[in-house]
Amino acid sequence: MSLLANQEAPRVARTSRLTLANRQALTGYLLVVPALALLLALVAYPFFFAISISFTDRVVGQPGNWIGLDNFRYLSQNPSFLKTIQNTIIMVVVSDILKLFIGLGLAMLLNQAVRGRGLMRAVILLPWAMPGFVAFLVWKLLYMPIGGAFNQILTKTNIYPEIIDYLGQRSTALPAVILATTWRGFPFWAISFLAALQGVPGELYEAAKVDGASSWQRFWDITLPSIKPVILIVVLMSSIWTANSFENIWIMTQGGPSDATMVFPVLAYFGMQSQRLGEAAAVSVAMIPALLILVFFVTWLVEDDD
Amino acid sequence: MATTTAPPAAATGQPSGRLRSRLRTRTRRNLLTLIAVYGLMLLVAVIVIFPIYWMFSISLKLPREIYRLPALIPQNPTWDNYRELINERGYLTNIRNSIIVASSVTVVSLLISSFAAYSIVRFRYRFRGFVGRLILLTYLTPGSLLFIPLSIIVARLNLGNSLYGLVILYLTFSIPLSTWLLSGYFRSVPPDLEEQAMVDGTTQLGALFRILIPLSLPGLAAVGIFTFTAAWNELLFALIFITSEDLRTVPLGLQYLITGDVLLWGPIMAGAVLAALPVMVLYFLAQRFMVQGMTAGSVKG
Repeated sequence: MSLLANQEAPRVARTSRLTLANRQALTGYLLVVPALALLLALVAYPFFFAISISFTDRVVGQPGNWIGLDNFRYLSQNPSFLKTIQNTIIMVVVSDILKLFIGLGLAMLLNQAVRGRGLMRAVILLPWAMPGFVAFLVWKLLYMPIGGAFNQILTKTNIYPEIIDYLGQRSTALPAVILATTWRGFPFWAISFLAALQGVPGELYEAAKVDGASSWQRFWDITLPSIKPVILIVVLMSSIWTANSFENIWIMTQGGPSDATMVFPVLAYFGMQSQRLGEAAAVSVAMIPALLILVFFVTWLVEDDD
Repeated sequence: MATTTAPPAAATGQPSGRLRSRLRTRTRRNLLTLIAVYGLMLLVAVIVIFPIYWMFSISLKLPREIYRLPALIPQNPTWDNYRELINERGYLTNIRNSIIVASSVTVVSLLISSFAAYSIVRFRYRFRGFVGRLILLTYLTPGSLLFIPLSIIVARLNLGNSLYGLVILYLTFSIPLSTWLLSGYFRSVPPDLEEQAMVDGTTQLGALFRILIPLSLPGLAAVGIFTFTAAWNELLFALIFITSEDLRTVPLGLQYLITGDVLLWGPIMAGAVLAALPVMVLYFLAQRFMVQGMTAGSVKG
């Protein structure tokens, strides 16, 4: 039996080696086809479909006509749209900076050998663990003029005796929304940074200490460069999420008061509700260039770093 | 630091004066650092926990108590809000719909993503790099870019206003993420065992199901939990594609509670608690693996 197999082996191997590579490739293709088909049909195709709709005056039920850049021309003169761009930039930049400092600080704090850091790690994950819509509902309640915790505490302790409608007035709505968004988002930053910090070999620090490097120098020359790839990826992904987050705005303000907290997804959603699909698509599509720059800039940086 | 210097000092019994004073300044500095560290930790803990505490507290309060001061502790805690939510707002239907959608998405997504990740990690073919990049790009493509064209496509395919359609739509964000994370896990498993099994006559699919998947079970569980959570939490697609009241998922049900003229904060917070509890429990079971997978995927992907 085994003798026979041994005699057969060379011939079988030679004929099947060629087909083995092919068969391997074929199996590889077959395994990836379901995922690929779904993503091509429901992500890649809609992506380009959105671009093509944005050049038409399509409304619900009618394909519409090609109108070139008219939608974009209209948007560029629309104060609501300009406000949306401004809000998005402020929201992304401010919340990114807040989350970067809080996240880095917390990660370095929890990277110390102190008792209770396991518990603390679990605690700071709470905002990230709860559903976004729940977090923003709770913050909406906290901000309420009547029955909201912030107003109750501030008036009760006489720190600020007047009732503030945080989400209802133009001057405070955007900061309030950013604060809630930061509260929900910082755990992801802190925990990612912490995981990265724990991967930095301790000998590096010991060596630097022997060389007389100050703690600031150690942070600047060892910590930051070691976790730079993770920082960049977290910044990139979080910026994309923040710029496209729908539920925080939808639940807390629906873009209001007037358009003080309007963002792209909510504006596009309103456009769709008013049946003007071409215009609504143009709102989303207008964001693509910025998104592409974000994606390519950071992937380039990361690859350059390796 | 202190522990490395302390034993010799204790052993000699009478440390030299220099050593003693050095130890003293060191402990004082350590004490200050410790106070600062715990002070900061406490502050962060309060900031994190307060809103969550507030959610629980309001969910146990009757309307007249919600607006009364002082407000920190419910005076007459009651389950009335939960009762109203379930008996009068049909919240159990929302929960049932969410469970159906989220678990279907999880099962289908894990299966498809395991295949795709296995293919990307273990097979050699021409478009492998392209496929990997496409999956990353689709992961970075936000749903808010897609919902307008998807509304047209969904209407054309007759998938609108059905839980079945929602499951398919949710695969658009769950498959890229799951595939990405699973690739990280699969890559960390050495291929020797699969190769051995295939020498012994197992097919490639057999190697996936009998070797790779059992070895990546913790990772698979974490990805599954993460997928379930993401589907459970999704609001935008549900808002656009579900129109019947009896098909509303949990986020949608709650969303409709806040669009009314009068905000019933008691029932809303009761709904928030019920919506948050299951996924928060799941999340804590998975968080260890999640963080590992996140960084593994992001560094290698």
